[in-house]
Amino acid sequence: MRLKLSILIAKFAALLSKKILRRSGETIAGRVLLALYPKAITELSKGKKIICVSGTNGKTSTTKALVSIISKLGSVATSPSGSNLERGVAAALMNKSEFAVLEVDELHLSRVIEEAKPKAVLLLNLTRDQLHRMHEVKRVADRWAKSASAAPETLFVGDIDDPFVALALNSAAQAERISFGGNKHKDAAVCPSCGKYLKWVRNNYKCACGLSNSSPDETFESGSAAYRNATMANVVGKFFGAKPIAIDEKSLERSVDQVHKGVNANIRLTKNPASWTEALKSVTGENAVLIVNAREVDGIDTSWLWDISFSGLSGKRVVVCGERALDIAYRLHVEGIEAEITSSFDDAIAKFESGADVHVLAAYTAFHELVNS
Amino acid sequence: MNQIKIVRIHNELLGTYGDQGNAEVLEFRAKFHGITANIVDVTYNDDLPTNGDIYLLGGAEDAAQLLSLEALQRGDNLNILHMAIERGAVILAVCAGFQIIGNRFVANGQEVDGLGLLDVTSVPGDKRFVGNIKTTSSVLGFELTGFENHMGRTILGPTAQAFGKVITGHGNGDSKYDGAVSGNIFGTYMHGPILARNPEFADLLLTRATGRKYAQITDPLALKYATWRRKVI
Repeated sequence: MRLKLSILIAKFAALLSKKILRRSGETIAGRVLLALYPKAITELSKGKKIICVSGTNGKTSTTKALVSIISKLGSVATSPSGSNLERGVAAALMNKSEFAVLEVDELHLSRVIEEAKPKAVLLLNLTRDQLHRMHEVKRVADRWAKSASAAPETLFVGDIDDPFVALALNSAAQAERISFGGNKHKDAAVCPSCGKYLKWVRNNYKCACGLSNSSPDETFESGSAAYRNATMANVVGKFFGAKPIAIDEKSLERSVDQVHKGVNANIRLTKNPASWTEALKSVTGENAVLIVNAREVDGIDTSWLWDISFSGLSGKRVVVCGERALDIAYRLHVEGIEAEITSSFDDAIAKFESGADVHVLAAYTAFHELVNS
Repeated sequence: MNQIKIVRIHNELLGTYGDQGNAEVLEFRAKFHGITANIVDVTYNDDLPTNGDIYLLGGAEDAAQLLSLEALQRGDNLNILHMAIERGAVILAVCAGFQIIGNRFVANGQEVDGLGLLDVTSVPGDKRFVGNIKTTSSVLGFELTGFENHMGRTILGPTAQAFGKVITGHGNGDSKYDGAVSGNIFGTYMHGPILARNPEFADLLLTRATGRKYAQITDPLALKYATWRRKVI
């Protein structure tokens, strides 16, 4: 079937989905398009300058930042809902544009690079996440390295303080290796390049095989994950001739302020040990609601909750909810923090008085339900 | 004995799957019995302490598993474990750790000799087992729940006994049994962590490690959690 006709049908399917099911319609459009025209990504990428963003944490907010940077240069296609598998990519590319900035799932990056032939790929970080699906961090890192070496025309930009990102960048013909002065990685006791015990001196690593963060192409000051990601988005923008944006950490965090029953809730996405650890640093107030689910995109197992230190919540009022409220409640209990267990987010919020400020740390599915409702 | 030493072996390598929580749960349950637990973290470059009461190993990716094995075969470490077993210390080894303490296993396509503390041999299968697992064990007399995520197929030798009979899940690969046990040495594929999901198992390990019988603990949340997980796995 011709590409144009396939796009037409896909857009019609999206329209139906929007009107009847009240969904965003992007996923269905991409699905239909790829079913009718399997080479759609390859075809639609021609003539567009494509930038991919991948990594365990920060993909959506970094993609947004990069879209705002690149949009100063020309029209930008992107998938605003964070649909980051091939179908989301295909849907984003359906519209005519000069640029496309695409968020891509870690495991699907190889195929997207192969088909879309991006001008640049930004690799943020790689840590443990959804192990039921990713299986092993090393497995994902090896895939990245393999696709980097097979894409000599593509510029790979990334944070080499993360050894898994460094491995991918070392395999690339063109790389911009960025360091923020080091950052201890909790899942990198082993060198991903040679398998030896990786030598860390505080926040920096240096392996006998040569993998290290000691000779970056660019160095920036250390800072929060949101700051690091935005800084790297600016570096990518610079390669295309775009002016850097001012970095507003608050707006770059995956967080949303909402008022629920008079309670001021700052809702933040938390989905794996690295993002929880980062989010827990932001809990400066006295009240916290933790929502833990274990659906497919959350990771169907919660063992990793035991790899997070929740000691920062000690002395605060903590209310838990979600399908795995008991998992988190028992984990906190063993750490000496007694949480109140509730059966829904509404019940959790109802525990607080009107006007109270509450930090809400929400699992992926819970975050999306709250933000999209 | 009012103090016990819990040795968490190579958590930086064998800490991929939350199994470090096993030490925390032991420490927490011990408190109820009036025992002060001291958790000692042993890293790759350290020697094992000779006076541990409970030694813990967790799950890992292949390269990390091989490094941990190498470190445990170094110097006097293996001898220390043998002496610990002789004086009745407990070993709990999960997933990659379970394979390490067996006779042989395969990692990164390489077949290697394990520590030989449990009479088991593990080889990789063609399919990865990912999902909830529930077993019942005659050693314990109660059901255990956990989460498995591995490619291992583990065959028991004559001196090892199966740890659990599989109700749901795959365990050692035949969907019949999970893990192995010999005296106070326990091997299993169950994450969760296993002692968080099954606090009574933590109590049994404390009893075995100290040789004392303890009164039952009253911790409603632990009971509620374990019961709920058994119902929904």
